[in-house]
Amino acid sequence: MKRFSKILERVGRGAGRVVGTLYQAGRDSIDQVLKNILPFMAFIAFIIGIINATRVGTAIANALVPLASNVIGLIIMSLIIGFPLLSPLLGPGAVIAQIIGSLLGTQFANKALPLAMALPALWAINPQVGCDFIPVGLALGEAEPYTVEVGVPAVLTSRFFTGPLAVIIAWLFTLVVY
Amino acid sequence: MNILVNFAVWFIGLFQAGAATFTGLVTGIIPLVIVLMTAFNALVALIGPERIDKLAQAAGRPGFWYTPIRFLILPVVSVFILTNPMAYTMGRFLPEKNKPGFYDAAVSFVHPPLGIFPHVNPGELFVWLGIAAGVTTGYGAAATAQLAILYLITGLIVIYIRGMWTQFLTNRTWNDEAAAAASAE
Repeated sequence: MKRFSKILERVGRGAGRVVGTLYQAGRDSIDQVLKNILPFMAFIAFIIGIINATRVGTAIANALVPLASNVIGLIIMSLIIGFPLLSPLLGPGAVIAQIIGSLLGTQFANKALPLAMALPALWAINPQVGCDFIPVGLALGEAEPYTVEVGVPAVLTSRFFTGPLAVIIAWLFTLVVY
Repeated sequence: MNILVNFAVWFIGLFQAGAATFTGLVTGIIPLVIVLMTAFNALVALIGPERIDKLAQAAGRPGFWYTPIRFLILPVVSVFILTNPMAYTMGRFLPEKNKPGFYDAAVSFVHPPLGIFPHVNPGELFVWLGIAAGVTTGYGAAATAQLAILYLITGLIVIYIRGMWTQFLTNRTWNDEAAAAASAE
């Protein structure tokens, strides 16, 4: 009987832990949706709504589609966004990448851009990822001030090369797959 | 009067188009993201984030054969388990010289998994979703799934190259004496 109650206790404790963890995970997810995802959706829906309902959309499409419909244009885009002086300014919150991505998305939606350009485009809009955050990111890794001094220019100049390289790698992949 | 009515119709139409987009995003994407995030948040909590400390210690060893651990496995595992921005704390187990390369590799991996593992960076979901939602509308859900997988795979290749290249650039300007002098101050 004693053994039986011990098993019961163990099962109960284990189940309680799993249920508690799952419940907390659900709470975290809902928190994220309410605090981060829904506000951004509202913002993007507003911008895309205006763009779809006015002629602005055509103007943006005329500017972006020629750049995004071929790999050379996307490489140029990544060179601009990944330029060492611009990338830390374009980085914060990934807002620029998210807006350009959504604008390009409208052009994929009406098939103005070919499917094969989607993967290179994902890389072309994002060569600046984390460039605004280098000192903080390094500090989170408990880096010395000297490491930050050397590391910030290293990451920034590295991106100017690896940003376009990522577009080319993605493009090679799409050549094989599509 | 007619002009006013037409204006009102046009004006509200601007926002109705936005509302339609919003409905599509909320009903089409949020339920899946919530369920996926709940599953992976729970998985991460059950695994326990402290278990990757050992992996990080192995990643700091010198020699070329440890670079795939340092710039590929450690960033991927850190981003998956600790998510943005806590993933960068794993740099603390690495030698100072390796920290910029690790940061570059880790921060470059906070978007490529978003199509399959949205829990790693839900606040910046639209880096992926902006294009992905358009692809779904234009080319169907299967094309988006394929894109999600390709984005993840190219991510693995790109972060390793970024880590290695940033490491190379760091080594080129690194001066051991200056580093020692700076930390002695």
